[in-house]
Amino acid sequence: MTAARRVLWTYLLTGIAVFTLMMLLGIAMRAEQARWVAFGPQIFYAMLTLHGAGMITSVALCGMGGLWYLMRQEGELSAGAALVAYALVVLGVVAVLLSVFPGGFAAGWTFLYPLPFVGATWPSWATGTFLIGIMLVSLGWTAWCFQMLAFTLTRYGGWAGASGWNLVFKRDAEPHEAPPPQSIAAFVVAVDGVLTGMAGMTIGVALIAHWLSPSVLVDPLWAKNVTFFFGHAFANLTIYMALGWVYVGMARYTGREYHTTKILAIAWWATLVFVAIAYFHHLYMDFVQYRPLQYVGEIASYLSAIPATAVSVWGSMLLVYRSRMRWTLGSIFLFTGLVGWVVGGIGALLDASIPLNFDLHNTLWVPAHFHTYLLGGVFLFALGLIYMQLEERSGRCSPPLLRWIIGLTTFGGMTVFLLGFYVAGANGVPRRYAIEPSPGPLTASWATVGALLLLLGLIVVLIEAIRLARLPAQDPA
Amino acid sequence: MAKGPLVLPAFLVLAAAAMAVLLLVALSTRLSPLPYSQVQPEGYKLRRWWFVILSLGLVAIFAVTLPWFPYPPLRAAAHATKNGTLYVKVIAQQYAFTTPSVLPLDRRIVFEVTSLDVNHGFGIYDPRGQIVAQVQAMPDYINHLPVTFTRAGHYTVRCLEYCGIGHASMQGGFDVR
Repeated sequence: MTAARRVLWTYLLTGIAVFTLMMLLGIAMRAEQARWVAFGPQIFYAMLTLHGAGMITSVALCGMGGLWYLMRQEGELSAGAALVAYALVVLGVVAVLLSVFPGGFAAGWTFLYPLPFVGATWPSWATGTFLIGIMLVSLGWTAWCFQMLAFTLTRYGGWAGASGWNLVFKRDAEPHEAPPPQSIAAFVVAVDGVLTGMAGMTIGVALIAHWLSPSVLVDPLWAKNVTFFFGHAFANLTIYMALGWVYVGMARYTGREYHTTKILAIAWWATLVFVAIAYFHHLYMDFVQYRPLQYVGEIASYLSAIPATAVSVWGSMLLVYRSRMRWTLGSIFLFTGLVGWVVGGIGALLDASIPLNFDLHNTLWVPAHFHTYLLGGVFLFALGLIYMQLEERSGRCSPPLLRWIIGLTTFGGMTVFLLGFYVAGANGVPRRYAIEPSPGPLTASWATVGALLLLLGLIVVLIEAIRLARLPAQDPA
Repeated sequence: MAKGPLVLPAFLVLAAAAMAVLLLVALSTRLSPLPYSQVQPEGYKLRRWWFVILSLGLVAIFAVTLPWFPYPPLRAAAHATKNGTLYVKVIAQQYAFTTPSVLPLDRRIVFEVTSLDVNHGFGIYDPRGQIVAQVQAMPDYINHLPVTFTRAGHYTVRCLEYCGIGHASMQGGFDVR
């Protein structure tokens, strides 16, 4: 196995392992909300904290490994630097894990100041360990982003080349060629990612200072802004990292070519801006927030749909339309990931409308839409990448009957699971409730059944992946 | 009026439409293949329309819905004694709300919401169990939430921001008559 592949699989397998553990926690929480089991609020909220922080990190790890590997195809990239970033993220995950179990930290992944310090039912060391864990994840993420940024800037002729500026304004970029679509994605993710990582470290330092010396006070509104800028953009970027290999994968499976166009470059510039400023929608119900920022939040959230649908989704649809598409598990996951991204995006757009958010804010509608595009989008994209690698390596794909079984269990289970959130959210059931008011327990029961069906499907996905991985390689390189 | 129940059908219709389009694209691969050089120009023409319609549509939705934004007029407190508006203090603290027990029907009320400890959410549910208004309760800040109750009965208040392990049990309420 080459060093590049080792990096890819290290990131991917860790990401999938963390995702699986977090999924089991998620099922346990939905079962508690369905009143099938009773862990009690202390354990429930500890699980909720770990689930939120762990899930985002798990899909981020998949995205980082996948995009790094694609960039490695474009030129020299240090595997050692990628593994240092990986080690920092994993150390952060371990610290977060220890803070929650056995520490009992249960302030939520959002750890909104001053919650980690007021009315805490966990020891002080658990708060500190959690904050250090978040700092380490931010540090690893920032290191990875700097590597991507340095690579794209060097490889494509500085800011004007890497961003596509030269392409759009027809400047002679020789000797550098125009970056392929996945490299534009890497550049934009890196720029936003550096900002995100710095925000994560800023809030981490502020809260650690308060933890060490309680006389150091933090403004709660400032803390909320920085925390949500960090959390929103980090979660959002996991999708945009995955688009790198969606572009590549769709082109390979359809036998068509996908090039960087002026429109694609401009769309990614727009994405760079919208990812950074859409987070204001998390503060719609903070009426003291400077009013124009609320409008900016809604407009940016709305407009982010334009580059997403008109370029990435549209471009993928054009690649597939009337093509000789090979429908393997890899291509099915990539294509259905687009479905999850679009459907989750529709739920997000409705929630981003301030008059509707007045009724939906912090109800189960919020996890409804982000589970749709994280589970039904990014996670399926990650499975698509894994299967694409396995199919290309072995030169084989899965039999049609197995594809049907996986499709029915995975997508059927996912749909039932997600509908549980949407129906409850539309009926005002609050999110993050260990014990939910009606109709929460009923919808949580459907959701648990759906999640168990999904789990069954994913077990088949795992077994099939192991089978493909054990086949002899078609190309030893 | 609670808008939550209206959102679900709208979402399902839009989601079904999006899924139908993607399904048709997937099914098109069963037809005889076309060269990409033929597909691309037509697709780009259609995309221009999509871009224009989506952009104008989203900007129009923003502009048209502005009157329904829940924010109070700026400097609301300066008008405290005008227009018969009733100003009501709400204090949130782990894990209870302090509110009056009775509030008037058909009169404009502005809740002045704050917290004595961590962030909370002040979510008001009408007698049918639908959310009618909400705002964050923040330490060091006061959020002004204007509401006019048009239905008599008992209103439940629930915390809508995670505030610690007693979050789900943080409830209050008042009668409107």
